Amino acid sequence: MRNMDNRKYVIALMVLLVSFIFTLQLFYMQVIDDKWKDRAAEISENKVITMPARGVVYDRNKEKIISNVVFYDLRVVPNQAINTDSAALIELLDISMEEYTKRMNVARNYSKKKSSEFLPQIPPNEFSAIAPELYKYPGFFEVERTLRIYPKNSGAHVLGYMNEVNDKDIAANPYYKSGDFIGRSGIERSYEEVLRGERGVKYYLQDAIGVETGRFENGKYDTLAKQGRSITLGLDWELQAYAEKLMKNMVAIDPNTGEVLAMATSPNYDPNLLVGRRLGENYLTLEQDTMLPLRNRATGSAYPPGSTFKLLMALIGLQEGVVNVNSSFPCDKSLSGCHNHSTARGISDGVKMSCNPYFIQLTRRIVQQGKKKSYFADAAIGQDIWAKYVESFGIGQDLHCDFPGLTRGNVPNTNYYDTQFPSKEKPYGKFGWAFSTIYSNAIGQGEVLVTPLEMANIAAIIANRGYYYYPHFVREIEGAEVPEIYKQKNYTLVESQHFAPVIEGMWRVVHEGGGTARRAKIDSIPICGKTGTAENFKTIGGKRVQMIDHSIFMGFAPMDNPQIAISVYIENTGFGGTWAAPLASCIIEKYLTGTVADTAKEGRILRTNLMPDDTKILPPKKPKGQR
Amino acid sequence: MRNQNENILANIDWSLIAVYLLIVCTGIFNIYSSVYDPDHPGLFDQVTQHGKQITWFGVSIFLGLIILFLETSFLKKYAYWFYGATIVLLVLVLFTPPVNGARAWFGIGSFGIQPAEFAKIGVSMALAKHLSSFDQNRSKENLAPLRLSNFISQARNHFPTLMILFIPAILILLQPDAGTFIIFTSFILVLYREGYAGNILLFLVIAVIIAVLTLVVADSSFIIPGIKIKLSGKTGIVLSLLMLGIAFFFLIKSFVLKRNRRPLYKALVGSLIVAIVFVNFIEIGYSTILQPHQKTRIDLLLGKIDDPDGEGYNINRAKAAIGSGGFTGKGYMKATLANEQQSHVPMQSTDFIFCTWSEEHGFIGSFLLVLVYTFFLIKVIVIAERQRANFTRIFAYCVAGIFFYHFMINVGMAIGLAPVIGIPLPFFSYGGSSMMSFSILFFLLIKLDSERKIVLQ
Repeated sequence: MRNMDNRKYVIALMVLLVSFIFTLQLFYMQVIDDKWKDRAAEISENKVITMPARGVVYDRNKEKIISNVVFYDLRVVPNQAINTDSAALIELLDISMEEYTKRMNVARNYSKKKSSEFLPQIPPNEFSAIAPELYKYPGFFEVERTLRIYPKNSGAHVLGYMNEVNDKDIAANPYYKSGDFIGRSGIERSYEEVLRGERGVKYYLQDAIGVETGRFENGKYDTLAKQGRSITLGLDWELQAYAEKLMKNMVAIDPNTGEVLAMATSPNYDPNLLVGRRLGENYLTLEQDTMLPLRNRATGSAYPPGSTFKLLMALIGLQEGVVNVNSSFPCDKSLSGCHNHSTARGISDGVKMSCNPYFIQLTRRIVQQGKKKSYFADAAIGQDIWAKYVESFGIGQDLHCDFPGLTRGNVPNTNYYDTQFPSKEKPYGKFGWAFSTIYSNAIGQGEVLVTPLEMANIAAIIANRGYYYYPHFVREIEGAEVPEIYKQKNYTLVESQHFAPVIEGMWRVVHEGGGTARRAKIDSIPICGKTGTAENFKTIGGKRVQMIDHSIFMGFAPMDNPQIAISVYIENTGFGGTWAAPLASCIIEKYLTGTVADTAKEGRILRTNLMPDDTKILPPKKPKGQR
Repeated sequence: MRNQNENILANIDWSLIAVYLLIVCTGIFNIYSSVYDPDHPGLFDQVTQHGKQITWFGVSIFLGLIILFLETSFLKKYAYWFYGATIVLLVLVLFTPPVNGARAWFGIGSFGIQPAEFAKIGVSMALAKHLSSFDQNRSKENLAPLRLSNFISQARNHFPTLMILFIPAILILLQPDAGTFIIFTSFILVLYREGYAGNILLFLVIAVIIAVLTLVVADSSFIIPGIKIKLSGKTGIVLSLLMLGIAFFFLIKSFVLKRNRRPLYKALVGSLIVAIVFVNFIEIGYSTILQPHQKTRIDLLLGKIDDPDGEGYNINRAKAAIGSGGFTGKGYMKATLANEQQSHVPMQSTDFIFCTWSEEHGFIGSFLLVLVYTFFLIKVIVIAERQRANFTRIFAYCVAGIFFYHFMINVGMAIGLAPVIGIPLPFFSYGGSSMMSFSILFFLLIKLDSERKIVLQ
């Protein structure tokens, strides 16, 4: 019996061993290993993100120009929507039977017990008709979502649009999750981080099927969504809308602050088209439009500045001391074509008459200062001096503008001509060129390119007699300061006393007989301006052909206390004085007085199709005079 | 009579009663948390499982009191009758309509009775009676040399014992109810304690180790480093066994006297052959006989595959619930996985009741519960060993074995150490039949134990 009695210890040991192993396993599972805690959270908790409303955007007069509106997503729980009167419902929702069946099947395939989206982003005006009927359709219910609305229906290019984030956005910024919306262009993009607000999160408990059963820890870890901060722009929405009505590419800047008052491009579109469930569809239509309405020509294109560039030549010449206020040059038509005018007897005259030979000779004195014996070596030094001055006017420079997708102009310096002219493959090389090669720059027709924004900034510089603020859109940011960079004055290399004769010339351009922009004259406001007519070429089928000129005007007003600086580019419409100048004057008048007195002038512009005609090719001809 | 009743109360093991009440009451409050329904918040609400469990507890106490006031001689005398009655029930239940694919239930109104639960009692009593009737020579038998003639005579003696076990086991397998069938193997512990099983237990442990190893490497192959010969997993096991055999051969050669070596060599060769045949048997059974879903279950347990949302759903959810309890748990009524509202863990009030407890009370709670069950089991073994009456000792070991198996498989299943077999945790899981059958076993033990001194007189 003794050996049998020992067996009780074996049995007791077995019990103890099993309990010991269980304890070890429990300790491992519950205390050491986090795997099962993570797994439990994955199974039983549902993190629901609540999207914040985006920040509101105001114009300079505190008018809402971007706001939010509640849209409605119609959702359905398939199991609760068994006895749906589908015929009545499709009529109510204005969808086809096939679409109804398709959407219902998608919902059913996802889950029969959980709700899924049935019809997303129903605008409030449509939903007001649906809401009172919805009780008849159990299983269907609405969920609010806020979307953008553009109450003024204008400023599409300035304000920008939003769409769903793509994989690249998510990879670049972990803040974004699939399904989020992101500002894609314009202000919506520049101030994305200010406007987007903070997401809220709610933790729900869910059962095995995924149906919510309660709040996790009574909402201890939940956070509320925080609306995005509002911003105020320097934009004047009435001016913006008016500029868009007149249909052109223009930028208007308040020279006293650098704030952009209006920025229009044509053709344009209603910003509300790119909101809601028809976004994709509408975007495609706009994208395929041959007029390229999605393209922002005011910031995305650089043009030859034409005769407006002569202002800079005069200023640089005066600063360099190569000319004085009374310098005179003969209208030597061997250098360039010119129109018939009396001899320019000073800077002011030269500006007013826009004499091509005058400015070519003037600019030669800047570039060929005789510092080197070699004509070529001298040009190499002179061109860099010239380029430095031009760059100080902001051309081709980073203007720190709070706007995405800005193109810069081009200032050809010595290095450019050494390595890239006339082509990168076959440059003339060092000392292979001189002023005689590149003199077209003097009249804004060479390799120099300026964007409408840069041109408006140049107008502001002249208005300010030598300095500018970085052009910007923002005026106030809720809870933050406007960046310091927008409050600093940036001086050009031209001292302020040299501006007076140029400004006098610009005044005479508008107000005197023989001036090129007399159509811009308004009796009540002294406007200073300069027209430009930029020849432009396009390569079609390998052949460089000349297109209709761009019509350009830049200027500011009033002369002594400038409030607005403006640049206007009208593609392929001809002489600058004909269209761009009167257009600019309408904008100036509208901004300064609130109305346009000369309705005949306004009417003439509105009646004419000023859409860019980039199809008409001009017959080859001798270069004509630049005005 | 009066005198005897006083003796009963005086000799009742109150500490065991206390543990019983502790487990049952904790269990009821745990079920309350597990199936809490805001529409029926009452603890005694008979619509709810906790309400029903309380009723079953009441019935069990009532049955327990009857047992306490029965004559022990009556229990012993009619042990075979109880056994016979349960066998009849097991036969009759095979003619009922199947519920969930098994003919295991007698439906009475909304309640159901599982005769298999009561079969455990009948078998325990019959086994106790049968083994206690001829326990005088068993030690001698066991020490007899391993000869065929001895084996046959032993088999003849053991035949009734085997029948007592096999008849209900086969009937339960016919239902089919694999869980309860496995519980019947717990009687091997009783046989072992009573000297019959001999080295079966040791063999069983070795067999289980070999079987698990074989199953782990089945369907796989490996390459011997160096000579680049590809071998199947089974071949690897066989080779290992042969090498083990050679090792034992040299051990015997070096440490055993020459004249004693011969039988040991024989035993070694015999065991090797048996082991190799066994390996092949397991391998063939696994890869050709088993149904795919059975194979999947084994693979899941062995960790060969992972299918958290398919075949492994139950165990994955159970482990997540337990693991998420952490050190101190989420608090009473605060389970987020193992409760009726969330219903992530299946059968969380019956087979997986341990999950609710473990999730809400963490490692501390789980450890305490394991400790309480361990105390209970050890206590039953202590009670068994203090008996002079063989009947009571054998019956006590039956109780210990049954409870041990339930505890081992139920908790082991929830924490991923045992295969998923649907059996309740004694006194803790919701269920009328199990509550009553465990209580009857328990009170029979209490009653028999209370008379341990009377027998002396």
